[in-house]
Amino acid sequence: MPESSSDSTAWILALDDRLRAAVGERELIHLIEVPTLLEVPLCPYYCRHILVWNDAVLPAMDLAAWLHGQPSQRSRTLAGVFGYQMRRGAKPEYGALLLAGIPARARVTDESACGLPKKPRNWRSAAISCFKQGSDLIPVLDLAHIFAGGLPQIPPQFG
Amino acid sequence: MSGPIRAALADLLKIQRFTALILDGRKWLLPQAEIRLLGSLLDIDQEVRAPGSIGAFALEDEWWPVYCLSGELQLLPQLAATRRVCPLLGNGADRFGLVCDRVESLLEPPRLAALPACMGPPGSPIQALAPFGDGLGCVTTTEHLAALIAAVAENTDA
Repeated sequence: MPESSSDSTAWILALDDRLRAAVGERELIHLIEVPTLLEVPLCPYYCRHILVWNDAVLPAMDLAAWLHGQPSQRSRTLAGVFGYQMRRGAKPEYGALLLAGIPARARVTDESACGLPKKPRNWRSAAISCFKQGSDLIPVLDLAHIFAGGLPQIPPQFG
Repeated sequence: MSGPIRAALADLLKIQRFTALILDGRKWLLPQAEIRLLGSLLDIDQEVRAPGSIGAFALEDEWWPVYCLSGELQLLPQLAATRRVCPLLGNGADRFGLVCDRVESLLEPPRLAALPACMGPPGSPIQALAPFGDGLGCVTTTEHLAALIAAVAENTDA
């Protein structure tokens, strides 16, 4: 069945065992199970690793850590590679987010739009919109802003 | 990639020879031309101190302050037990010694990539990343290390 003009498809991401977020269908490029993460010194606690994908060095960001304001302990490491553009027509750029589970596809309609969750309170800096799925509020990530260094530096323990 | 990051990477890509300074297991890559001499720890005079230094090295009738940095480039107040060698770094404007665990010359130019924008504030001493095998080198320069040491030593002194 074709999508109506107000429908779109998203990937719902498990940022950790509690936090969910979404990206557009075409923004998730690749999934890496047990990625080789290389630690980079002097970097923010939520983005201290890179991974090499297709000969490119990508930041591997723990967005859940940033949202909680503290480094997170992960029992399972999974990374999604995401593509984004800094502006329409620009060359695609890539970054990775650490995930806690396999992303799930979801159909999103304009009618499901809603406000951002109140907690964690810094969603506003990372998301461009939000939709409701059942009782869950799912923020839609602004990948260009996130990977271009747009996240405010929140000291650990302040989330 | 921002303009300054792109420019820094373009300058580094012109350099053919790099030397790895190993600090607490981390590899910090510097242009080989900035390594003036590999000194011995025995030649460090611990009585001659600049702010933040652990001593000084006499070379060409001048004292070169010697610093001990951790693998995360934190200024350490004394010689760490794993340090074995003291390369003297100079670029014409800055000159100092940096005690290291090991020093390795890279036989091939490393493959360099820019530090992603979300990973470092402006002014980060990391000018590029050099992935190799399962490891990673961080590229910096004498100028950036000198700036970092000066900033930390000034705060320590204040």
